[in-house]
Amino acid sequence: MFLTLPSILEKWPCQWSSGASGRRASPSFNAGEAVTALELLQRERECGSITTFSSQLDHALKGGLPVGKVTEICGAPGVGKTHLCLQLSVDIQIPRSFGGLEAQVIFMDTEGSFVLQRVVDIAAAVVRHFSLLAVDGEQKDTMQTFNMESILSNIFLVRCHDYVELQAELLLLPDFLRDKPRVRLLVIDSVAFPFRQHLDDLSQRTRLLQGLAQQVISMATRHNIAVVITNQMTTRLQDSQSHLVPALGEIWGHASTTRIILQWEGSQQVAAIVKSPCCIDTAIQYQITSEGFRDANQPEITLTNRR
Amino acid sequence: MEVCCAACSLLTSKQWRTLSHLTSKKLLRNVPFPTSLDKLLDSGLYTGEVTELSGGPGSGKSQVCFGVAVHVSHQLKQRVIYIDTTGGLTASRLLEMLQSETSDRDEQMEALQRIHVFRLFDAYSLRDRLSTLRSGGLLQASGGGSVKAVIVDSVSAVISPLLGGKQNEGMSLMIQAALALKTMAKDFGVAVLVTNHVTRGGRGEVQPGLGASWSHIPRSRILLERTDRAPSGCSSTLRSATLIKSSRQPCLIKEELDLQWWSRSERRSSGKRKRDEADS
Repeated sequence: MFLTLPSILEKWPCQWSSGASGRRASPSFNAGEAVTALELLQRERECGSITTFSSQLDHALKGGLPVGKVTEICGAPGVGKTHLCLQLSVDIQIPRSFGGLEAQVIFMDTEGSFVLQRVVDIAAAVVRHFSLLAVDGEQKDTMQTFNMESILSNIFLVRCHDYVELQAELLLLPDFLRDKPRVRLLVIDSVAFPFRQHLDDLSQRTRLLQGLAQQVISMATRHNIAVVITNQMTTRLQDSQSHLVPALGEIWGHASTTRIILQWEGSQQVAAIVKSPCCIDTAIQYQITSEGFRDANQPEITLTNRR
Repeated sequence: MEVCCAACSLLTSKQWRTLSHLTSKKLLRNVPFPTSLDKLLDSGLYTGEVTELSGGPGSGKSQVCFGVAVHVSHQLKQRVIYIDTTGGLTASRLLEMLQSETSDRDEQMEALQRIHVFRLFDAYSLRDRLSTLRSGGLLQASGGGSVKAVIVDSVSAVISPLLGGKQNEGMSLMIQAALALKTMAKDFGVAVLVTNHVTRGGRGEVQPGLGASWSHIPRSRILLERTDRAPSGCSSTLRSATLIKSSRQPCLIKEELDLQWWSRSERRSSGKRKRDEADS
């Protein structure tokens, strides 16, 4: 088959290779093409967002954590970062008949903070909540398949012990995502822990982190998944006063599109959104109950329809 | 902008006109910023030049880029090429900004269609895309319309992982991308806006990233900072913009910027205006 020069010049290398191997190129995103902002708007509306089960935080984030973007959750130890990640891992699986995304999640655990019993408690509370909400036939049917076993089987857990393993897993992730197209959430808990130990050269650490950030952002966009990364806090001295700031330096601060800082204010837990493309800086109160991440002063079981 | 006397300004503009007559290009067409950044940049972004915005995380660089894109596509009715390397471009925010400019839905959709977005996440794709745009791909990418602004948000996200250490490709990629941007600006008469991160200098002062080699590329450089000292929590939407390099204005002049300017339709009834609404 003869090809003319203009038709060859228009093609990109990945189009040639996908033709040769017989595999279809990824339909969702082609790096070479321009999209107009209008098409992006339509795609964003189709993607949806992940509810956090805290209505104030969902309202502040305009619906929940956005799919297709990177969100960073920072906080001191014990403030509830892992709890929020576990809550999101269960919330992403909410069936479509209840307005959820009905998707799977990959949980990369670097600290060993994934506790199965907590996931069971959170999942049980979510199943109970929706079984009380089911009104029509379709919703009642989906509740047959939305139970503890299905929730736990849709969470893929990866345990990384250092930054080399974390980077290796991220490099292998695109193939995994191609085989499992239902995955819509990637949680990395936490990114600070492996990078703060055994890495003495700070400039190398910054370069590795920037490379990781770009990898993660490109995966979020190409495969249309939400990425949630947790970070620790460190103390910075400024004008002889010390402040708690997110760890890993200022350059890491550019990696995420949205940044939420969880902190204690007196006896109240507060989530502050300090960086977001579409919401101004706000702070909302939350609490961690036996059922998971909830609004502050919310009773244990609510009957409000979340749709 | 103050001039020393009317005669001086007349002389200067006559010289510019003679020069532009010779080169048959208008040098003084500019893209006005609809905020107090106009004062810093001497009435706006200039076509034919590269302008840089640097700042820490959450300082408002992407918001300013969105504002410029919306302004060019809606008020000036020209096309915009937006190269996003951080994944931060949110079309719903562009729509919100457009809704504060006009309530006509058709106009909003038309303006959104004039913004063409490329999403690239590594330095090689950026360099290739810029080279393609420079060698005639600008018209093709914008679907035949005339492009007035090219925005790259951000250059440092893809280039700084390759700088430093034992790698030597980073510097050459940076200069190739920079050259493509500058020639594109000059040849096509577009205003180029790029964003950059910040680092801390030897004495702890904040300075733009990418080093001394990059600092020669942009003609004007603005540093954005949060005005309050609290590093977290519900801070205000005020930012301070400092001009650190310019060929037209004295350096180190500061202006305050309110990021809520682009949501002003929600605030019209509150009466808490901080800046005059500049007509474009």
